[in-house]
Amino acid sequence: MEELVNKTLVFDYFAGKVSPFQKKSIEAWLAIPGNRDIYYQWLHEWETNNLQLATNWEIAFETASRRIQYSVQESDPAGKASIRWWQRPGFWMAAASIVFLIGLSGWLSVDLIRYQTIETSYGETRRYVLPDGSVVELNANSSIRFPRFGFTEKGLLASLVGTSTGRRVELTGEADFSVRHLPNHQPFVVTTSKGLAVNVLGTQFTVFSRARRTQVVLRSGKVELTMPKQSNNRPLTMKPGDLVVLDAEGKLAVRQTAHPEELSAWKQHRFTFEQTSLREISQILQENYGLTVRIDGDELANRTISGSFPAQNANELIQLVAELLQINYFRDNNNVTFTN
Amino acid sequence: MTEAEGYHRPDKESIARPLHGIDQTTTLVDNEFFIRAAFAESPQKGFEALFRIYYNPLCSHALRFVYTREVAEDIVGEVFYQFWKNKAFTVVQFTYRTYLYAAVRHRAYNYLRDELTGSRTPSSLDELDVAIGEESPLTLIEYDETFQRLEKVINELPSQCQRVFLMSRFENRKNQEIASELGIALKTVESHLSRALRQMRQLLLSSISLIFIGLH
Repeated sequence: MEELVNKTLVFDYFAGKVSPFQKKSIEAWLAIPGNRDIYYQWLHEWETNNLQLATNWEIAFETASRRIQYSVQESDPAGKASIRWWQRPGFWMAAASIVFLIGLSGWLSVDLIRYQTIETSYGETRRYVLPDGSVVELNANSSIRFPRFGFTEKGLLASLVGTSTGRRVELTGEADFSVRHLPNHQPFVVTTSKGLAVNVLGTQFTVFSRARRTQVVLRSGKVELTMPKQSNNRPLTMKPGDLVVLDAEGKLAVRQTAHPEELSAWKQHRFTFEQTSLREISQILQENYGLTVRIDGDELANRTISGSFPAQNANELIQLVAELLQINYFRDNNNVTFTN
Repeated sequence: MTEAEGYHRPDKESIARPLHGIDQTTTLVDNEFFIRAAFAESPQKGFEALFRIYYNPLCSHALRFVYTREVAEDIVGEVFYQFWKNKAFTVVQFTYRTYLYAAVRHRAYNYLRDELTGSRTPSSLDELDVAIGEESPLTLIEYDETFQRLEKVINELPSQCQRVFLMSRFENRKNQEIASELGIALKTVESHLSRALRQMRQLLLSSISLIFIGLH
């Protein structure tokens, strides 16, 4: 009976399409040693061909690696064998003096201890996994700062240290966030220098906070925007595809964007322009690569480009722009000039 | 698909198939050979290979039981973590694939059972992956029948009830959000959800309790 069993039959069986007799023969086949491995192999193949969802294995792998590193440090066997380090003679004396010294220097104000900072230089993008498993991708010339202690808990330690507790990230520049939902529904807040706070409820979005503009684009999930320092602090809830811009007077304007993912195209070293003027592109060159750009004439500065283009570095972007607009450019170290 | 179609379709093709099946087997075994080579280099490299190849399909499979994306990912993440932490990869006697699929199915199935019987305990998901590799053919088939039956139950829910259920479970949306997005009352959302759960319970619990009598 079990000789009837082959891959096609087992695939149909997984899909719930076999007769009770055929199921019986699969049961008999499974009892033969070695066939269980083949069964799982076919299950894996079938599942791979009939996927129910798309996940990101890299994030999961990084989260697991972190957990492993953490648990290895915790259960360090050397600590168990010898006298524990805090029981060694003189330790408490040393500890007391260190605490005294730190207290003396007013350690509560030492941001280096309280916060961890991740930054990118001009022309660099960087992917970073936060302690809670959320992923941040930083665009060039950007930085984030978050509490070193108690990031993932509203714990006693964090309140003792005096850090604003929990998942709070301060952003300067531009970053894309994939926030992990935690079982205790702990909030995740991104704050910007212009006083705009993004309260996240498990989701993917891009925040842009530079001198010329502050904007938030939501790809999936849900976020709430607040201006904690303003008196009439009414939260604004964003839907996927929304683009919210904070204008000069501190007001929030909501727009719809059909392709929210294009606003984080820089993650793939792509630049997406939509009727973008050469003047704005110059600002991008300034923000992302630290270049000073001069444009010969207002008419040239107002010419626009549309489309999505790959560029690995500043030179490629400059060349691309010059080719598209059929203009000339001249670069001398950090100074670029566009001419007709 | 009707039962009648299910009867003759595999039979018609079965004569030519076995050889093909064996060919497929060899390529997949080679796959694990690369993972073993990666493990020989370092556990880090080995796990990277395991995640790359198995993480997504395992989540997809777990989802068939738990119908919540976060839970599926948590279950799979936990299995990988335990496998790594306990250094089980050094002693595994069968393929990594067998170990991982068996452990994920065991956990996902237990999660579903606990949810439907209301007996969820904080440690439900933390139980060790004991008895992996010792399931009887009957247990394997019961697991498969469980997710197939679950799919059938959900497919047969009235369309709006199904929609509410998937929004709540798969997209992890709050009841109030679903109500305002679909323009229906909060009470309606709640009744759709409890209806879905009731149907799942009715169709599943009878068979699940039988399995457990069978196992012990």
